[in-house]
Amino acid sequence: MTLFTKTDCRLCDQLKKKFDLGTMGVKVEVLDGNDAGALAHLAWHGLVEAARKSLPLLVLDDSSSVIEYAHIERHLVDRARKKGGGYRPRAAGAAPVCEGGSCSL
Amino acid sequence: MPGIKAVLETSFLDWRGRVCAVLFLGGCNFRCPFCHNHSLVLTPGEYETISVEAAARQLAPFRKWLGGICITGGEPTLDPDLAGMIRFLKDSGWPVKLDTNGSRPEVLAELLAAGLLDAVAMDVKAPLDPEKYSGCAGVPVDLGRIRESIRLLGESGIEHEFRMTVVPRYHTRDDIAAWAAALGPGPAKLTLQNFNPRTTLDPELGREKGFAAEVFESFRTLVEQAGKNARLA
Amino acid sequence: MGVVMPLAEKRTSTAASLGRGDSTDLALFVRSSQDDITGWDRQRIVEALLRETLIDRDTAERISIEIEETISSGKVKTVTGPLIREMVNAKLLEMGLEEARRRHTRLGVPLYDVDQLLVQHNKENANVPHGPEATNLTLAEGIKKEYALLHVFSPEVADAHLSGDIHLHDLGFIDRPYCSGQSLEYIKKFGLNLPHALSMAAPAKHPEVLLAHMIKFAAALQSHFAGAIGWDAVNLFYAPYLEELDDRGVKQLAQMLIFEFSQQAVARGGQAIFSDINIYWEVPKHFEDVPAIGPGGKYTGKTYAEYEKQAQRFAWALFEVYKKGDAAGRPFFFPKPLVHITEKFFRTEGHMEFLEHICEVAAEKGNTYFVFDRGETAKISECCRLSFKLEASDFEDAKEPWRMRYSALQNVTINLPRLAYQAKGDDTRLFSLLTRKIELAVKAHEEKKKFIEKLMSLGESGPLSMLAMKLDGQTYLRLHRCSYLVGMVGLNELVKVHFGQELHESDEAMKLGLKVIAHMNIICHKLSEATGMKLVLEQTPAESTAYRFAKLDMTHYGDQAQEVVQGNPERGEIYYTNSTLYHVGARMNPIQRVEREGLFHPLIEAGSITHIWLGEARPDKKALAGFIINVFRHTQNDQMAFSPEFTSCLDCGRTSRGLQEECPYCHSAHVDGITRITGYFTKISSWNKGKLGELHERYRNDNQFAGAR
Repeated sequence: MTLFTKTDCRLCDQLKKKFDLGTMGVKVEVLDGNDAGALAHLAWHGLVEAARKSLPLLVLDDSSSVIEYAHIERHLVDRARKKGGGYRPRAAGAAPVCEGGSCSL
Repeated sequence: MPGIKAVLETSFLDWRGRVCAVLFLGGCNFRCPFCHNHSLVLTPGEYETISVEAAARQLAPFRKWLGGICITGGEPTLDPDLAGMIRFLKDSGWPVKLDTNGSRPEVLAELLAAGLLDAVAMDVKAPLDPEKYSGCAGVPVDLGRIRESIRLLGESGIEHEFRMTVVPRYHTRDDIAAWAAALGPGPAKLTLQNFNPRTTLDPELGREKGFAAEVFESFRTLVEQAGKNARLA
Repeated sequence: MGVVMPLAEKRTSTAASLGRGDSTDLALFVRSSQDDITGWDRQRIVEALLRETLIDRDTAERISIEIEETISSGKVKTVTGPLIREMVNAKLLEMGLEEARRRHTRLGVPLYDVDQLLVQHNKENANVPHGPEATNLTLAEGIKKEYALLHVFSPEVADAHLSGDIHLHDLGFIDRPYCSGQSLEYIKKFGLNLPHALSMAAPAKHPEVLLAHMIKFAAALQSHFAGAIGWDAVNLFYAPYLEELDDRGVKQLAQMLIFEFSQQAVARGGQAIFSDINIYWEVPKHFEDVPAIGPGGKYTGKTYAEYEKQAQRFAWALFEVYKKGDAAGRPFFFPKPLVHITEKFFRTEGHMEFLEHICEVAAEKGNTYFVFDRGETAKISECCRLSFKLEASDFEDAKEPWRMRYSALQNVTINLPRLAYQAKGDDTRLFSLLTRKIELAVKAHEEKKKFIEKLMSLGESGPLSMLAMKLDGQTYLRLHRCSYLVGMVGLNELVKVHFGQELHESDEAMKLGLKVIAHMNIICHKLSEATGMKLVLEQTPAESTAYRFAKLDMTHYGDQAQEVVQGNPERGEIYYTNSTLYHVGARMNPIQRVEREGLFHPLIEAGSITHIWLGEARPDKKALAGFIINVFRHTQNDQMAFSPEFTSCLDCGRTSRGLQEECPYCHSAHVDGITRITGYFTKISSWNKGKLGELHERYRNDNQFAGAR
């Protein structure tokens, strides 16, 4: 399972705060405009255009993708429940909104 | 024992209106001199047999792209496992089209009765004259069985098509008109294919030519006069 | 360009002559390049050296004296200007004055080459027929190419081109931008009003006149750009002129448009105008509320949204014409119709009938290009693959569509397989070499940009007056909006050398391919920020580059190259696989090809395409339509075309399907094949050897048992 993020992406940061992605077995790819490997990985899943519209993006082990913050969050909450940990509800700050359009590739 | 000898993953030609996959079954009871798939007819044992499960697995990734699977040959109705094969495909959600020479109406009837077919294309090799028909099929043919298959399809209520490969040595204009007329009224589509001398079963035919393109084009009116929706391929 | 100077300067030379060997002693005649014969005058050498190079007068005098001695000691009765110049150059070299020699060099063509050229056929560009105009073009291109490599580009860039590390496209058109896309609105609004033209035409009042203006403008543009001339939303912008026409009239207009464009071979060395017309079934969202311009250049009082039906009528008629082909039933080579498939397309009434209509053309003649504009992106397509995504500033322009004109200034292609030979399996080295080549490509772009800026700065009295005209307040060529293309050839072979498998052979090979293109994308973005130039990746239309790189690598990297070049080395028919395409012979079905090749497309922002080769097969239009919908819905593919093959009989003139050894109508063996080269239809007899190699290897998705179906 891979979460595609970006360095200055507010929604991505929210997810990173709310979940202990490492222990949940979610690999994080950072699309910072330097990492060809991360961009190629995104392209392999056919998600470049999707990422240009919005980030973060979650790709599941069967290669299907979850788009939009709310859906990703719900999916991760479920996974944390199954895995028995990794969700930190308190860490959530203000309502997650993208500011200045930075939450896209 | 024949079986599936090859899988073509996509075809834009084998099922009108659909992108389909094609399964080639080995073995045939005809020896049409102009046959292009003759290695499947004469020496099917040279090809490894592919199980229907393996074929379905191979096609699964293209499921959303394909409108169905066309089963061709060889002559598929000779295969004792045909019904089982189609049932497996139908259970996996695939629409199925059968290509047949119509020589085994009992198999066709069984498949139709079981609702296993979504479409059928039958090669009607010549007008229904014993001598002409046997000449084109390369073996003696019981025309009663051919007529029975034509009747079955006419009454089946499913999409069906009658096809004929026209060869200057075997088919005259009158033959084509008689052929179209014999296929009677009904919703069938009629298709004529021009003979192509490349890789024929009878090597002697390989030195002959197809109808000149404008002559072939003129056959369309012969078929249309019989009140049929003609297609030239 | 001889060394002989105008007569007026001759007088001063006697006064300036020094020491021994006075020029008047020598009773020699010099054939100048000014169409006359003049007497020997040593001073002309001196003047030329002082004018053209930076050497001092004493050295120049010394050289001229030595040359005079050489000539007078010989038995030559007549020398030519070029000969003297070559002797001077040899002397400069002898003296170690390399820079002076470079400046003083002569551009030209050996007699033998010209003789060859006038009889042989130029196969670099299959779009150029053979003939006096074509050879003019080749000769002029040859000289401009030399000029570009010596004078426009730095030695580093020129050497990289010559050695085959990179390819600078259209060097023979160094004084022109690469390609351009425009709007009919420009001529609808301003008429045909070109600088230095003998007459000026007011905006057209009738559709036929608008067509005449469009064709003339396209021809004028063709002589100012190296590559394609594209037109946006042609059927829509014609619509306000069509209201008075019945269906027959519309069909007639469509026929005129296609025949006019396809028969413009009189221009530029007999080369047809490489033209694209973009067609929409719907009214594109960004034009819905735009006030329509109609006859006489006046606003009609309606918006373009109200012209949907007229625009559709024209689109339909255009494809009727394509379906029929030319008088011999051959497909039209130009203009290429690009149909945009968008979300709105599927919401527009009649779209399925239209889709089947254009799919029938694709099946019968292959003309249709399907351009997929997913989401809210709008694109206009220009060249073989080049397309521009409309950005926020473009949507502002869309309100006044005559402003919508775009250009890519140049295209530079990188030889990818060579990087893999040099990297010797080392990842870090591979990617750093790639970065270096992109930087070099950008340097080449900066140099060309500077040169074009210089020409543009001369304004309407300069050589690019047409591009400098300011009918709407800004120059026709909007330099600040230009793109700079970085292309690639042979990704498939790079991956094979570096990883051991071709792109189609494993997921891992494909992932490496994606990483290479992702890296190129990232570096272009970074360099765009650093230079302020819009650098974008493009799939190179590599009709000669793929052959050239392969040939050069066989020479310089023979051991490694022979393992991976495609084609038939024994016949010299070798090539690298185009851009990011999969091997043309890879046994993969059209679905896989469209999906897999499509994964690259979002990273290649200036446009990509997948070709499906149909061979003899004539697919069912409904099946194709269903396929196209799936490509739109389920892949990232940017653009696709189906390419059939035809046989054209040179005896009876008729056209048949498939590549046949003889004509099926008259059974003549005197036939020529027609199919798509990289992006357009041509006769196979005009193809270069690399392309012939590729043709033999095309995989046509036939069933393995059938000779033909």
